[in-house]
Amino acid sequence: MNRRTFLAATGVALGALAGCLGAGRESEGGSGPPSTDAPLPLAHSPALLREHTVSGGPGKDGIPAIDEPRFVDATAPALDDGDVVFGVEIDGDARAYPQDVLVWHEIVNDTVGGRPVSVTYCPLTGTALGFERGDTSFGVSGDLVNSNLVMYDRATDSRWPQVVATAIDGPLEGDSLRQFPVVWTTWGRWRTAYPDTDVLSTDTGYVRNYDDDPYGGYNPTTGYYASSGTLFAPLHEDDRFEPKVPFLVTRGPSSEATDRPSVAVHKATLRERGVLAAGRSLAVSDPTLDTGYLYRTGPDTPDPGAFSWTDGRVRGPDGTYAPSAVPLPATTTFDAMWFAWVGFYPETEVHA
Amino acid sequence: MPDATVVTRSRRTVGHTRRAVAFALSRRDGVAVFGVVTAAYLLAYLVVVGHLGPGDGTWGVTVVSDPLSRALRPRGAFRFEPVAGLAAGPVRLLVAPLTLAVGGVLAALVGVNLSLSSLAVRQPTACGLSPSTGVLAAVPGLLSGAACCGPTVLLVLGVQASGLLLSAFSVLVPVSTLSLLVSLVLVGRYVSPGGATARDSFDSS
Repeated sequence: MNRRTFLAATGVALGALAGCLGAGRESEGGSGPPSTDAPLPLAHSPALLREHTVSGGPGKDGIPAIDEPRFVDATAPALDDGDVVFGVEIDGDARAYPQDVLVWHEIVNDTVGGRPVSVTYCPLTGTALGFERGDTSFGVSGDLVNSNLVMYDRATDSRWPQVVATAIDGPLEGDSLRQFPVVWTTWGRWRTAYPDTDVLSTDTGYVRNYDDDPYGGYNPTTGYYASSGTLFAPLHEDDRFEPKVPFLVTRGPSSEATDRPSVAVHKATLRERGVLAAGRSLAVSDPTLDTGYLYRTGPDTPDPGAFSWTDGRVRGPDGTYAPSAVPLPATTTFDAMWFAWVGFYPETEVHA
Repeated sequence: MPDATVVTRSRRTVGHTRRAVAFALSRRDGVAVFGVVTAAYLLAYLVVVGHLGPGDGTWGVTVVSDPLSRALRPRGAFRFEPVAGLAAGPVRLLVAPLTLAVGGVLAALVGVNLSLSSLAVRQPTACGLSPSTGVLAAVPGLLSGAACCGPTVLLVLGVQASGLLLSAFSVLVPVSTLSLLVSLVLVGRYVSPGGATARDSFDSS
């Protein structure tokens, strides 16, 4: 190697090393992801959330999103029935995203049922949410707020904390993402409910130890997921429950509708009771997928207390229904660790 | 303009350290210590960064497409994307060339520190010198490996992350490298390349 070659190689190496110390705010241009008609409610202002945003360690795209996901059929994956998967079903297209793959990537930019979507997972807050992405895609910014994944869209580089689903920085600040349901369940339950499901392959284009979750495990629950400590200080402390206890949650429908607050239902309690009158909402357990649903009630609907649980079905004043088919307006719910939800929404209704 | 005396002393110190290292690595016992410590540290570094761990009993090699550009893609401070995965029965190794290079440099510095220390403590004037000098300097480098994915090492330590702590994680590799170089110079002062005398001969030269 002559002196010039050595200097060139050194330059490349130093450039790469420098690159890992900080990434700039760059965007690909184009329109951002589709937004909701009215912004979702925020308990904290974007400015406060920006102030509490910290680097999580890896830089921008240091945790690489999966942009070209590959899938295998339900007979192929080496999953135990008890392994956690995030299930999505859109227009008959069912897909399972194993937690032990998403823990390494946090975002999958996919097309499900013909719709461009992103399936996102934050290990530190125990939240799996799906968003419409339009013509753009999402990446992992490397930043966290309230321990929660802060995504960026590649069109405008706006910053979107996953749980609040609202941009707190960038050209789209204040806009909220359109969300669709993602079910936190287990592989055995999902495969039984959707035998023809596709499953995200470990052939992601990246090399990782997909058998080894750096934070612990869910089958059984160990490590960070079982501990009572958080890695970063929460936005708001509330010790009514252990920090990692899972809740079924939904945000208030809009910032104007203050009479319909955000709601958190203790999952273990819901699992035990089947149905739960949660203020003006009705919480229903779904034993098939070990998940739940939250329905809103109003002046024109029966009171939540009029519903009961009978042999895995919901009995109402006018009939008996499957848990997912109660004739009330459904809200988009997701699972969240207690500390994460109450950190973002301190005034949330709590039902346990 | 730097003081000529300082420049001269610096040159003399670097020259002596270089000769001391060469002397240590010319001896069979010095090479043995260097080899064992370097290999052990590199293995520990790879375990801590999550690139070396237990396998699932299968055998095979996976290589990403476009490995050259992937090898330069950073994952965090001084950590880079793996370009290949090697499943070798009970062991699984991820190959990230630049991460391997960073770990290799740290491991070699720890190895040469301990090689020198092992010689120095056997020389009569090396009172108070401990082989742990070089090892302590290497700890930040080992810790830095766990700075991925939110520094999970903090979970083990039961410490909550703060902005200051996370900033510290990003400079652990350069801090460790600098510490090891300083340690090398300090330990080198206790070793005489001739082997018969120690620090006194260096100071009087």
